[in-house]
Amino acid sequence: MNNGSARIAGAIVTYGFVGLMAFLSIFPFVWMLLGATNSSIDIIKGKMLPGSALATNISTFFTQVNAPLVFWNSAKIAILATALTLAVSSLAGYGFEMFRSRRRDRIYSALLLTMMIPFAALMIPLFIMMGKVGLINTHLAVVLPSIGSAFVVFYFRQCTKAFPSELRDAAKVDGLKEWQIFLYIYVPVMRSTYAAAFIIVFMTAWNNYLWPLIVLQSNETKTITLVISSLASAYYPDYGVVMVGTILATLPTLAVFFFMQRQFVQGMLGSVK
Amino acid sequence: MSELQLSDVRKSYGNFEVIKGVDLDIRTGEFVVFVGPSGCGKSTLLRMIAGLEEITSGDLLIDGERMNDVDPSKRGIAMVFQSYALYPHMTVRENMGFALRFAGVPKAEIDSRVGEAANILELGPLLDRKPKQLSGGQRQRVAIGRAIVRHPKIFLFDEPLSNLDAELRVHMRIEIARLHKKLATTIIYVTHDQVEAMTLADKIVVMRGGVVEQVGSPLDLYDDPANLFVAGFIGSPKMNFLKGIVEMGAGGDKHVRLPDFGNATLPVTARDAAPGSAVTIGIRPEHFGDNGSAHLALTIDMLEHLGGETFAYARHGNGELIVIETKNGRSLKSGDSIAARFDSTVALVFDADGRRLR
Repeated sequence: MNNGSARIAGAIVTYGFVGLMAFLSIFPFVWMLLGATNSSIDIIKGKMLPGSALATNISTFFTQVNAPLVFWNSAKIAILATALTLAVSSLAGYGFEMFRSRRRDRIYSALLLTMMIPFAALMIPLFIMMGKVGLINTHLAVVLPSIGSAFVVFYFRQCTKAFPSELRDAAKVDGLKEWQIFLYIYVPVMRSTYAAAFIIVFMTAWNNYLWPLIVLQSNETKTITLVISSLASAYYPDYGVVMVGTILATLPTLAVFFFMQRQFVQGMLGSVK
Repeated sequence: MSELQLSDVRKSYGNFEVIKGVDLDIRTGEFVVFVGPSGCGKSTLLRMIAGLEEITSGDLLIDGERMNDVDPSKRGIAMVFQSYALYPHMTVRENMGFALRFAGVPKAEIDSRVGEAANILELGPLLDRKPKQLSGGQRQRVAIGRAIVRHPKIFLFDEPLSNLDAELRVHMRIEIARLHKKLATTIIYVTHDQVEAMTLADKIVVMRGGVVEQVGSPLDLYDDPANLFVAGFIGSPKMNFLKGIVEMGAGGDKHVRLPDFGNATLPVTARDAAPGSAVTIGIRPEHFGDNGSAHLALTIDMLEHLGGETFAYARHGNGELIVIETKNGRSLKSGDSIAARFDSTVALVFDADGRRLR
């Protein structure tokens, strides 16, 4: 085989692999969109063309689901969890990076180690804790365990390494206290980092399923992910309706990502310029 | 009365002492430059004066008032940082007025002071720009402007020209000197560039290893260094050092024999030079010439023609390089043998520990 043929074969393998990965990524979305236009029977039969059941599926979804309530529940939890997580974790990341102490690295390592503990191991103790403080079946029970996220603290600490220490010194000479430096200098300078963290945390909170399934027990408190799940686990699930719900549930996260993608990329590359 | 006084000021990180007892008086309106190699503690000392580093022991007095535990913003100082440290999310105007806003100064007063500083530094057209829209020199001027608006008693500059290119550095150096003349305020300036130190300072503080080696005017330090380190650090190209041994001549006159230069001898006037002791002779490159009571037989290794002058790098045999500055170097070429003459009275003598012998 000469060089030219080898190059063509290499290109075929490369493009084939890339094409397969693209297909695997895009197919579920396409299937979701097509499914929303078809009846449950057509979906089970594997019909991969647009159908005429979209209006029926949408109508059925809004009949079966109290959409404003479940979307409000999801939005409330996602926004509250995101705001608190960003506030707590960015403060922690700032503190870990800015303040030197002999125990700092040990505490930080211990914090990172908590990422190794699977959530399944924490569910029962968390449930008992929430039960003891009377938070079962409240949205606060979903929000509280997520706000001290070791990963987000880690992310903020790594990003804070790029925050120029001279800005902090200049602010001190200008008369700012530490909390004012954080609020008036650090937060605005690190806004791309906050944007990237916002997307990550918001998506995680919005899509959260397992823990809300355990602690949210009445229909009035349920989120969209729980409702879609209950639609899919009915005796005769209507997959067209499930697809409509899935599309609607995807829209907020898509919107957040669409509006913040520039800051997200900047935040991932290092936000301080 | 001196405006700033340091008395036995020390700084330790754990058991490691980085500032080892500094005593210094700075008078109102003086331009003082801390100079020294990297890691000598000059920036740490400046940060201690600013209040950005705690003082482990000793006293820092500003206008006679002990300032060790006073907040940086209440010391009457303003600082210009190496990286400018402009707040990137604020305009030039906001950057310059930020400290005043936090100090509760009325808006009209802030606008007036910002306008005044902008006029001095010719920043008027840039006031509504963000730092990323400015060049390095403009950012540096904004950083200085931010310091000026506070009307400080003392300006602190921490290597402010290090991030600028050579041409801009020279320009800004002149600007800072002009500014000092105009404002007549005390300036403490840190640099590792001894040319900056020589050209800007009223008083230079040479530091090494957390210790002040010598304090004096630029030319005093140049002409009359207290030790080998200061002699080598001040001056570019640096002073030549020749190892020698003090001997008594037959007539009872003292001279130094230079074994690395074919046992050449030169008379010494230093009373403290004890016969038999090892000494180092220091000669500045410009002190070599066609005349003089002493001479070294050297071979030119390399030449640097700078137009107005030439630096000849020469050695005796395989010995150390000696730098000679000459105005008449165009006819010289590598490999030439020369007799580098100098007046032995300009040669400085240092003992084996590097202390100046007089």
